[in-house]
Amino acid sequence: MKRTGVFICRCGINIAGTVDVEKVAKELYKHTGVVHSEDYIYMCSDPGQNLIVEAIKEKKLDSVIIACCSPTLHETTFRNAAKSAGLNPFQCEIANIREQCSWVHKDMEKATEKSIKITRSAVERVRRNESLEPISIPVTRKALVIGGGISGIQSALDLANSGFEVILVERSPSIGGHMIQLSETFPTLDCSQCILTPKMVEASKHPKINLMTYSEVQEISGYVGNFKVKILKKPTYVDPDKCTLCDECTRVCPVVVPNEFDIGLTGRRAIYIPFPQSIPATYTLDIKACPGLLPIACGKCEDVCEPNAIDFDMKPEIIEEEVGTIIAATGYDLYEKELMSEYGYGKYPDVLDGLQFERLCSASGPTMGKILRPSDHKEPKEVVFVQCVGSRDPELHCAYCSKICCMYTAKHAMLFKHHVHDGQAYIFYIDIRSGGKGYEEFVQRAVEEDGVLYLRGKVSKIFGDKGKLKVWGVDTLSGKDIEIDADMVVLAMATRPSKGAEELAKKLKIAIDKDGFLSEAHPKLRPVESVTSGMFLAGAAQAPKDIPEAVAQASGAAAKAITILSQERLYHAPTVAMVNVNLCTGCEMCVHVCPYDALSLKDGKVEVNEVLCEGCGTCSATCLRAAIQIKNLTPLQVHEMIKACLGG
Amino acid sequence: MVNLEDLKKETKKILEEERVKYIIGYKRGSNGLMPVPAFIKNPEDVEKLIWDPACVYNLSRFLVDEKRRKAKEKKPDERAVGLIVKGCDSRALNVLLQEKFINRDDVYIIGVSCENTGIVDEKKLAKKLKGKKILKIEYSEKDNFVTTTEDGKTEISAQGILAERCLECRAGFPVIYDVFLGEKAKRKLDNPCKSLENIENLSGEERWAFWKEQFDKCIRCYACRSICPMCYCEECVVDTINYAVATDTTAEEKAQRIKWIEKSPVASENIVYHLVRAIHLAGRCIDCGECERVCPLDIPIRLLNKKLEKEARELFGYEAGLDPDQVSLISSFKDEDPDDFII
Repeated sequence: MKRTGVFICRCGINIAGTVDVEKVAKELYKHTGVVHSEDYIYMCSDPGQNLIVEAIKEKKLDSVIIACCSPTLHETTFRNAAKSAGLNPFQCEIANIREQCSWVHKDMEKATEKSIKITRSAVERVRRNESLEPISIPVTRKALVIGGGISGIQSALDLANSGFEVILVERSPSIGGHMIQLSETFPTLDCSQCILTPKMVEASKHPKINLMTYSEVQEISGYVGNFKVKILKKPTYVDPDKCTLCDECTRVCPVVVPNEFDIGLTGRRAIYIPFPQSIPATYTLDIKACPGLLPIACGKCEDVCEPNAIDFDMKPEIIEEEVGTIIAATGYDLYEKELMSEYGYGKYPDVLDGLQFERLCSASGPTMGKILRPSDHKEPKEVVFVQCVGSRDPELHCAYCSKICCMYTAKHAMLFKHHVHDGQAYIFYIDIRSGGKGYEEFVQRAVEEDGVLYLRGKVSKIFGDKGKLKVWGVDTLSGKDIEIDADMVVLAMATRPSKGAEELAKKLKIAIDKDGFLSEAHPKLRPVESVTSGMFLAGAAQAPKDIPEAVAQASGAAAKAITILSQERLYHAPTVAMVNVNLCTGCEMCVHVCPYDALSLKDGKVEVNEVLCEGCGTCSATCLRAAIQIKNLTPLQVHEMIKACLGG
Repeated sequence: MVNLEDLKKETKKILEEERVKYIIGYKRGSNGLMPVPAFIKNPEDVEKLIWDPACVYNLSRFLVDEKRRKAKEKKPDERAVGLIVKGCDSRALNVLLQEKFINRDDVYIIGVSCENTGIVDEKKLAKKLKGKKILKIEYSEKDNFVTTTEDGKTEISAQGILAERCLECRAGFPVIYDVFLGEKAKRKLDNPCKSLENIENLSGEERWAFWKEQFDKCIRCYACRSICPMCYCEECVVDTINYAVATDTTAEEKAQRIKWIEKSPVASENIVYHLVRAIHLAGRCIDCGECERVCPLDIPIRLLNKKLEKEARELFGYEAGLDPDQVSLISSFKDEDPDDFII
């Protein structure tokens, strides 16, 4: 029989306000095997922990139960305290009488009764606990960053500058993300490309960064400290070392497709360079648009290429890498415009989305920085900006606030006025969210200096009328219907997780939230960590974010990644699955069900990879034959705990 | 129609070629109509084989025994066992293959079709014949059975005397086989879970009362467990610790065993037994109905399995035994799986 000590925390009045802790201590002292039982105001405080240490030494305890808050909070604290008194830390278990009892009940008598049961069942559990040693694993001191937008670039730079090798994977032909498409950035109106390109260059030249553009993560296996990654390097059919950027190939290419960089405002050829400052600076042959690689199909680009940089025999490559940690910075896309048919996007060329308007304003854009209507290349005089298109609309579209649209719409209106001095900008808004350094002042400037007319209300319909766009809306402040004959309409579309983020999340085994954004491990205390250890989140992949926030999170994710990469070895909880080979029939159900790929079949029986196993117990619940169980939480222990709860 | 002579020819051939160590089929028994399993090693003994609507048994259960026997042999005969299977029996083989309990090489499958009708329910037949002693029952060209009694041959409609499971069977032919005899005819079924209608229409209290009465009858003879091809665990949770059958279970391991259930056949314990059994068969039961047939107390066990079969189909689009390579119901997860039961 074990000698168990029970320590009941009052947690100020968090627990003691609803639970008679003295009674719990007294009752537990009567329980078989309990040789010490006391309560204290804050067990997690230094004096509280000392009580545990002293009692272990004095009463020669071989196991302890702390009845307190959730084990997610203080299990480590108390296990370390037990360890310092010479106990194996796995002989310390938590009875959660706060979250699972005092906080959810009002009746003191019943709550006390329940606390006694919870604590008793923990005593029954620890009675059969084994002393375990943590599993030690080596660390691969290299990181993978997925996504080459501003967040991914920032994370990669921070990691590389800390001395760690980084693989930066970007699926498009150049890094830069959405930020490189922007004209000016709020609230300072500095040129987006001018502030981003130095970082892009630094990332591409950094000796510690292995830049892999036009590449996609295909498969990820392994575990924190030791991930194995398969990266698909798509063929560009152009050898970047030979290419001299002479641009002869695009001149002969007969195919024109919409240019993604200008969001369809211009066209590009099948062989193209996304934008002049592309990194890597090379051409890519878009095989989907190309009439065919065989010279018989076209082959014009190859004919004119003097340095012979075009190589039709280039094949997709799968590159295998080992990394210790992964940062997902997959960014955002704008909401599907087809879903907003009432606003005429796609039907009227002068109805644009925010990113298209950025391109129109941009000095490197299709109009060289002149704001012109795509339909007739005339300067628009009346421009209507519509906020919250698709956002904050739980019935039909996205329930959440896309966060960046208030600010960028104010910026758009301002930029419009700067380009077209005699123009008028109207903004339809629900309300203005301008929390951020210098943000509110920026919006005020738009109103006061640039005469932007803010109309509080929604737009019901936009339709073409005699060369103009008729905008029907309502001003809810005056209660009047509004009708504007606009020359151009700009829709601030909701931001969505980027396409493919969901599939990537599945590969990484990280959770996504109801809107498809990558889920953080804790909304307040672990905002840059994913639920899977060793994987971190950066930028708009986690939630809509503006540039400063994305950069801050990217640096945060890098710092978190360094906490792993800076270790020689990591330690893994030893409470993992174990197999009773006598009972195992090799049916493989547990193998299929294991979310960590920790189980495999060997000679007709299941084998546990203890490093991969997280001890979740799904296998144990699945096995029809009770042939697999979790150490220190065996079915027998659970059975005894239930019995103790039921008073048996 | 399955030609019995063809069946004999096929089995004789594989025995002569020594491709199988023996064949399990059906032969005439000494006690009336119902046949008994035949284990045939000698090619000349194939003459004993029969095939008629009374061949109810799911012979795949014998593979479980065969595997245990083989494990004990020092120099086991590695050849396959020949097995005559109906549609439902073949689905059981698929589940055993899916769970890797047997290998495909362990069994040579001789599939026979149920001639678009099915097999007979012994009790229904006796009722129909009103006490007349039946000598023989045969398939007919139409959806009829030809019965031979002392009074001679009569043709009766199969519908009234078919086993319950056959009335709800969609494929009266094997889904996996090495040789196949008969025809493949898919059956149109309005409601593959018709037998559940009555019980599903009851209120919660009425259902509870119904099952309580049924489980009260159970004497826990475990015939349902013994006949079930899916109940092949080395140890069963309902057996007491001392009864543990896995030979090298250590004392320490035995001490880890939990007594989930008392031995005595009282309602509370019987309910646990039957529910554990039903849950353990979810996504595995292929509805051969053998459990219900062998129950000496006429407990409608099949309804429990049928209910879970229905849930699996309606919630997860899963059907047991159709494909040996599919991932089992319990261990498969799809994003589209309904989760409205999670609060």
